[in-house]
Amino acid sequence: MTEDEIRKELAILERSKKDSQAFGELYEKYFDRIFNFIYRQTDDEELAGDLCSQTFVNALHNLPKYEFRGFPFSAWLYKIAGNEVNKHYRKNKGNKIFSIEELKVRELVEQATEGWDEELVERLIKYMNELPTDMIQVLELRFFEDKDFKEIAFILDMTESGAKMRTYRAIDKLRTNFNLKLKYNG
Amino acid sequence: MGKHEIRLRRQRLSARGSDRFRNYGAVLKQHGEEKRIKLITRIFTFLFLIIALIIVLIVIARWENKHSEPQPNASSKEIINKIT
Repeated sequence: MTEDEIRKELAILERSKKDSQAFGELYEKYFDRIFNFIYRQTDDEELAGDLCSQTFVNALHNLPKYEFRGFPFSAWLYKIAGNEVNKHYRKNKGNKIFSIEELKVRELVEQATEGWDEELVERLIKYMNELPTDMIQVLELRFFEDKDFKEIAFILDMTESGAKMRTYRAIDKLRTNFNLKLKYNG
Repeated sequence: MGKHEIRLRRQRLSARGSDRFRNYGAVLKQHGEEKRIKLITRIFTFLFLIIALIIVLIVIARWENKHSEPQPNASSKEIINKIT
């Protein structure tokens, strides 16, 4: 995101603090990203729709408190969305779901063997089920949402070095167990 | 951290899929309603605190009145005895 874009967003946010209608522009801009982020963690379109709406309602409630801290505004929305998803799972006491697109897995994994190895993917999914949830969360934000470590740290309420460490560890485990060439731009 | 389940999705979510839920008007309406409920709750809490404070003040005032009534002391009794 360029500085000019950030400045434009901040101007919209300042207007939105006085007039909620102005926030509509940011709603349209980020709706799909936030919806997909929630959908990936629920695998339920209706539920993702509800949680996404609640995310934007909460954003509107808390807009007067919003301060620019060097992150794009979207990071703040991701944080609220993540909290909404966590609240949903706490309330319903279910296992957290990570619904990963096959296409994204293809993009993410440069396999040692050429072509799509169904068995390898099955083993990989099984293995990822055994990884700690916080590790999957970091991987999701890093590789599916293309967030940098600073943003991941803000979204998940941890330090930047903590986010890096968690990603390193997760990638290391996948590399050693599956001989995968995962890109890591630390 | 808790347990989780990884699912592999064969199909990409279509833009139309998420468009079904895109409705800023509804978000604004919900925001307005929740804001109103918050305001009403705040007003009721404020009123409740004021009423509670008034009740406490009344109780204290009554207690003070009860304990500050003049009690006949020994010297006044003596004066009454002398007169009679």
